Amino acid sequence: MTKMISRRDFLKLGAATAGGLALGQMLPPRVAQAAREAGQINAAGDGYVHSMCEMCVWRCGLIAKVKDGKVVKLDGNPEHPHSRGNLCPRGQSGLMNTYDPDRVLTPLVRVGKRGEGLFRQTSWDEALDIVASNMLKIKQKYGAEAMVFSSTHNLSQVQFENLLYAFGSPNYGTQRSLCFNAMITAFSLTYGVEEPARKYDDVEFILMVGRNMMEAISTSETSELAHAIDRGAKLVYLDPRYTKTASKATQWIPIRPGTDSAFLLAMINVIVSNELADCEFVKQYVVGCDGIQAEMRKYTTQWAEKITGVPAATIERIARDYAAAKHNALAHPGWRTSNFINSFQTERAIATLNAISGNVLTPGGCLSADVAAEGEALGAPPQPPYPRVSALRLDGTPWKYPLVPLKLGVFQELRDAIITGQPYQAHGWFISRQNPILSLPDRAKTLEAFSKMDFITTVDIIMNDTAWFSDVVLPEASYLERYDPLLPVDGKAFIRQPVVEPQGVAKSALWIYKQLGERLGLGDYFQYEDEEDYIRQQLIPLGVSLEEVKEEGYAEMPEEEKSKEITFNTPSGKIEVYSETLKNAGFSPWPTWEEPPMPKEDEFYLLTGKVAQHTQFGTQNNQLLHKYSDEPRLWMNARTAAKMDLEDGDWVEITSQVGTAHSLLLATEAIRPDCVYLTPGYGHLSKGLKTAYGVGASDSALHVTYTDPISGGQALSQTFVTVKKA
Amino acid sequence: MTDIKHHAYLFDATRCIDCRACMVACSVENNIDMDKTRIWVAGIGVKGEYPDLQRGTMVSHCMHCEHPDCMSACPVGAYTKAEDGPVTYNPDLCIGCRYCMNACPFGVPHFDYDKGIIEGAFIDKCTFCPQRIYNGQEPACVQTCPTDALEYGDRAELIKIAHERIATHPGRYIDHVYGEFENGGTSYLVLSHIPFSELGLPALPETPVNEVSEKVMEMTIPFALGWGVVLSGVAAGVNIYNKKKEKASAEEKVEETK
Repeated sequence: MTKMISRRDFLKLGAATAGGLALGQMLPPRVAQAAREAGQINAAGDGYVHSMCEMCVWRCGLIAKVKDGKVVKLDGNPEHPHSRGNLCPRGQSGLMNTYDPDRVLTPLVRVGKRGEGLFRQTSWDEALDIVASNMLKIKQKYGAEAMVFSSTHNLSQVQFENLLYAFGSPNYGTQRSLCFNAMITAFSLTYGVEEPARKYDDVEFILMVGRNMMEAISTSETSELAHAIDRGAKLVYLDPRYTKTASKATQWIPIRPGTDSAFLLAMINVIVSNELADCEFVKQYVVGCDGIQAEMRKYTTQWAEKITGVPAATIERIARDYAAAKHNALAHPGWRTSNFINSFQTERAIATLNAISGNVLTPGGCLSADVAAEGEALGAPPQPPYPRVSALRLDGTPWKYPLVPLKLGVFQELRDAIITGQPYQAHGWFISRQNPILSLPDRAKTLEAFSKMDFITTVDIIMNDTAWFSDVVLPEASYLERYDPLLPVDGKAFIRQPVVEPQGVAKSALWIYKQLGERLGLGDYFQYEDEEDYIRQQLIPLGVSLEEVKEEGYAEMPEEEKSKEITFNTPSGKIEVYSETLKNAGFSPWPTWEEPPMPKEDEFYLLTGKVAQHTQFGTQNNQLLHKYSDEPRLWMNARTAAKMDLEDGDWVEITSQVGTAHSLLLATEAIRPDCVYLTPGYGHLSKGLKTAYGVGASDSALHVTYTDPISGGQALSQTFVTVKKA
Repeated sequence: MTDIKHHAYLFDATRCIDCRACMVACSVENNIDMDKTRIWVAGIGVKGEYPDLQRGTMVSHCMHCEHPDCMSACPVGAYTKAEDGPVTYNPDLCIGCRYCMNACPFGVPHFDYDKGIIEGAFIDKCTFCPQRIYNGQEPACVQTCPTDALEYGDRAELIKIAHERIATHPGRYIDHVYGEFENGGTSYLVLSHIPFSELGLPALPETPVNEVSEKVMEMTIPFALGWGVVLSGVAAGVNIYNKKKEKASAEEKVEETK
């Protein structure tokens, strides 16, 4: 392998050729001014700029190659711990998001009916005035709580939250309950950390429950897993589908959907009743080691075989192999764990398996429960305290869902409360970087909730489905065109900076929220001049200049002092396999079996799950990803299809309790006979997405809304469908 | 800028997760039209009957043969085999005859039917990213690969690594490095857990096909010259015979007239 040419070498080349140019006249129009001033881009508009990917939430470091003021290539930054020089297909295609011909480049105001797609272009001043006056009108008439705010995982979210807390609304919708509520709630209750880090250096045995790491790619972790397998680590993978991860596993177990926790509880039983656990660790650090044998006794492998369809001997063998690997065993916590209303119990069982193998916090252990508080080392603009909020949250936390962390919330419940008007009616919705029309289950219901709104504003870079149904659309600069707040990763604060100038009049989220805040009379909460000033204030405690960070791509953070004593951030300070908190809230204090519903004879489980080329509901219009992804189809087991007289390539009609969709059929051996699978994120309603419109079917049109009462997670695989020839 | 004597790729099918980052990276790096590609995925996809399944995918692009058939078939010398590995194509020389497409045993060169003869560039294939490898970077497809299924380096070194990998993991690989000898060797080497034919790779003799054809072609002139000598000899012989015959018959006539 050869070394990357350093950016400095290129700068030298650039400087040599740039000398003596008549600046201004010769400059192409779209060179990022800041990058040029910092010397990263030469006068001809060529150069290399360090920044950060935003094609998913893993946020890999990237080096953008700029030529004539346009991004021409993105490479992974070898120094960034999340990319290590690699990018996944989505990361590689990132420049096509910026150059998407369907970009929204000026503020738009709706002139037709909602969903008709008729807008007029307007100035920022007028658009922001319209948004602010409508928000203030709603606040005066119904109270601040009548404004709903929602946004999905992004680096400017801290200022989005600033806007909503300053405005005084408790109603905040995030994607989290559609994604990882079960995992985070379970691990917070058991370990006191939201998401323990995984370590693959010494791993010998990996158990993955539906974590499709080879298709739901997190670049560095996917790489670590691949290298562990290459080294000879065993992977046991549970999934009703033969995914690309299944194809790399030592053993693929096509378990019956919804029964993972039965499999795991039987594993725990084998380990504790045969005394294969790491007793020393368990006694010292785990609450519940006294009662666990008695509690798990009922979960025999024979019992689990009946429920899961996996032979008892297989479960026994896997449990023994797992225990034999001791602290080099890893039961992966998973990511999108919103599958069944019992997914919280699945996650509790995973947390327990890790605890009894002693892999948590022990040297060389595969799960790290260290709490990262790196963000605290950065500065922030000063601001007054937020107004006190007395209204109930529409999403039921905590008054209906006592154990759901407030920052996670229950988005589907918020949507339902908008429809019922209980406990009060919401009237306005401010949405940023989110597409709830496609992401929430039961799309018809989401559209009904939209119809209850007096006013809807969406901030996005393209005309996604939610923007299409909005009253005002505010054009955001793409991630290659803007600054975002710094992101600390492994002791370094990484920067996202403009690689090229924004197209049209698109602006950064930091700018949009500040402008809107000022118009809402909340200017004191946004004490930064511009994006660069915001980052300079973040850098004050580090004593590093913005220019240095722009050049290097990151700033070193002070090393944290780690306490040598092992404590967990739970009420007992130990790992709570037995949880008093759960007991007091009226739930089982032990990981337990909850029977999930099953489809009727003519019905199928409707499964969802990612493909490597797309992220949720926002990348289907990217022409490069469109080019290299498979046509989305409904997967059905080939023999089941033959029995139903269906052929590969047939058009089929899929019907659930709440909706109907049409799709081409893929007859394949790679799925259980009682399941069908649909690639998520397709079936867009917006005709403003010229590449994605008319492609595939929407799983959200079919998904029935079911909420886990403990974690608030939506059960996305608990929808049953019938399929017939269209 | 590079210490690699003979540029080559190593593809390990056991590591490939079919994510297609390489395809997107190549498309962007080389500014490929939206309806074209220089890399494609070959292989069996999913094989077997539920639940006994196997998957095999292969990242397919130019094999950069040591004895390129495209080059020997090209009547105008548009192909070049660089001493350090890459097989390159010069669109300025190409006349669009498509002989290379027929000659390549891997089906690599693609004819651009949209542009055709009028606009000039006819054939498209992997260039080995010269703009990157001669500037100290890995080819775009290799650099981005999250699982190191694609690797880049010196051919001899990669062949060594490949054999070591087979030896380290007995039972995992088919005990063969495809491209080490096939068709006289290629600069795109392949390791696999399933038969190479299932990755779409043809069984080829170690002697390059074009070496045979070139040997035959080399014989053309000596052969033509040889035939010339033989035919001239025959012609001369016939001539002498005829002359003798004429002489004899003339003598006979003389005798008759006597």
